[in-house]
Amino acid sequence: MTEREQINTYLTTLSRYLSRLDKGQADEVLREIESHIFDVIEATEQRGQVVDADQILQGFGSPRSLAQSYVEHVTQGTPPPEGFAAIGPVRRNVTKTLYYGMAVFGFSIAAALILTGFANLIVPDSVGVWSAAGGDSIVVGMVSDKVPPGDELTGFWYTPLAVILGYLLLRLTVSVMQVLKRQLA
Amino acid sequence: MSDTATKWDAQLRKGSLELVVLAALAPGPRYGLALLNHLHQFDTMQITEGTLYPLLDRLKRDGVISANWQQQGDERPRKYYALTTEGQQRLTDLGARWRQSVADIEALLQQAA
Repeated sequence: MTEREQINTYLTTLSRYLSRLDKGQADEVLREIESHIFDVIEATEQRGQVVDADQILQGFGSPRSLAQSYVEHVTQGTPPPEGFAAIGPVRRNVTKTLYYGMAVFGFSIAAALILTGFANLIVPDSVGVWSAAGGDSIVVGMVSDKVPPGDELTGFWYTPLAVILGYLLLRLTVSVMQVLKRQLA
Repeated sequence: MSDTATKWDAQLRKGSLELVVLAALAPGPRYGLALLNHLHQFDTMQITEGTLYPLLDRLKRDGVISANWQQQGDERPRKYYALTTEGQQRLTDLGARWRQSVADIEALLQQAA
């Protein structure tokens, strides 16, 4: 890549990261940085030195971080329109709903797995995993009907499988809830 | 320069760079590279392009500096930054505050010695 191409690539990448600004502002930023780079190239050539694109671009940092320092204060400097103050409480409620939703979802499925796992020891015929709909689907759980919907796949192995899965799900739920709780605080 | 000194410079600049830029523009308008080269003459003002340009952009939004593309002679147009009236005022205010801080720290150092 020539020095010129390298600089163009940098500016193109930067313009992509600046897309959160409106077009006029982004163009202005690009124009100024381009102008700076030309100034440096000119001064370097006047001194009879070789232009080193890496060295010129180094001071600007990565296109991403440079764009971020432009975009950050634009977004921070813009106060939200009136009425948007409600977003805070709404967001918190969403997190609360998520927190309790996650708890109900995770714990109930984990409990169902573990309970059916132990139930399999007592009533092995009613508990298990069945192949259904000609193998296209499976049925997991506890059935009252003595006629299962297909071939049972697991037999005794349902117990350790369900207990382990239930335990893992319990652990996962607890750790997800911890993360959500930090968000709530 | 020692690592401690570099870190100290960076910390101190974080809060004072706005004042530095306003002061550097007080004698007259400058464009980006000229301003950067001017600052680089000072030992503790070795800032990068990536720090200066976004800061200039912010100061312009704050209304303390203005920016205008100007062409001088055959040269390519350059974006010149200048203090606004508000910028003059901010420079006076922050300058006074800075001198107060320096005097306070100096007094504390005197007591420490």
